Amino acid sequence: MRALRQALLILLAALIPAGLTAAFHPRRPAWSEDTLLPGEVKLQTVLAWGSDVLWIDARSLKEYEAEHVPGAILLNLEDWEQLFPRFLDRWRPEEKIVVYCSSTSCELSHEVAERLKTNGISPVYVLKGGWEAWKNRK
Amino acid sequence: MGSLEEQKVISGSRRTRWPDIFKLGCVLVRVTVGALFVLAGATKAYDPGAFAIEIQRYQLVPWVLAALISVYLPWLEMLSGALLLLKRFERGALLLTTLLLLIFSLALASAMFRGLSIDCGCFGKAFTATGTTIPLLRNLLLLVFMGILWIKSR
Repeated sequence: MRALRQALLILLAALIPAGLTAAFHPRRPAWSEDTLLPGEVKLQTVLAWGSDVLWIDARSLKEYEAEHVPGAILLNLEDWEQLFPRFLDRWRPEEKIVVYCSSTSCELSHEVAERLKTNGISPVYVLKGGWEAWKNRK
Repeated sequence: MGSLEEQKVISGSRRTRWPDIFKLGCVLVRVTVGALFVLAGATKAYDPGAFAIEIQRYQLVPWVLAALISVYLPWLEMLSGALLLLKRFERGALLLTTLLLLIFSLALASAMFRGLSIDCGCFGKAFTATGTTIPLLRNLLLLVFMGILWIKSR
C-alpha cells in the first residue's frame, strides 16, 4: 500500500516538468500529426512546385527497388559514400530537393536532409508523411 | 585457540558473509538501475520531438498519445531513477521502474513479433542502431534484478 501511495506521488510530481516541457521545450513534439516540423513540406505544395523538384528516396535499396516516386534517386545514410557522387551528377542547383522516407514515423529523411545541408546543398525539404503520403495521394 | 573454537569462528564468518554479499549486490543493482533510468530519461528529455517519433515507430498508439508520452515519460524515468539512487520513496520508485521495464519489454517483444525493423529508442537518439533483441534481453535481465530488490525490500 505504501508502495502504491509513493508511486502515485511520483506520477503526480512528474506532471510538473512534463507540463513545462510541453509548453516551453524548444524541441517539443507537434501535437497534431498534420503540423509541419521545421524543414517539412506537404505533398500538395511539392506538386504545386512543378518539375523543378529532385526527389530523394532515403529508404533502403530494397524498398527503393520495390517502388519509388517517379524520377526519385536513392540516397540513404547506409551507402552514402557510394550514392552521394551519383546524386551530385544528377543535381542541378536550381532544383528544390525533396527527401522522403517510409512514413511520418521515420526520421531517415530528416537525417539525409541534414547531411545534404551540411554538404552545402540547398534548398532541401522533407516530405511530410513520406512514401505513404505519396501512395495515398488523390 | 582450540580447533573447535576456530571452526565456530569460521562458520560464524560464513554465516555473515553471504548476507553481506547479498546486501552489496542489492546496492549495486539499485544504483545501476537508478542510474540507467536517469540516463535514459535525460537523453529522451533532451529531444522529446524525436522521442515522439521513436514511440510512433512502434505503431502502438496514435500520434497525439505518442506526443504526450514523449513529454511525460522521460521525467517519470528520471524521477523514479533518481529516487531509487537516493533511496527516497524507494518502494514507490521500485514499483514504477519495474512496471516501466515490463511495459518497455512488452512493447519491444510486440515490435519483434510484428517484424518491425526499428530501434529501441530506449536512450532517445544517444544510442541508435540498437535493434530490439538486445534491449529486450537487457530489460529482462533488469527485471530479474528488480525481482531481487523486491525480495530485499519485503
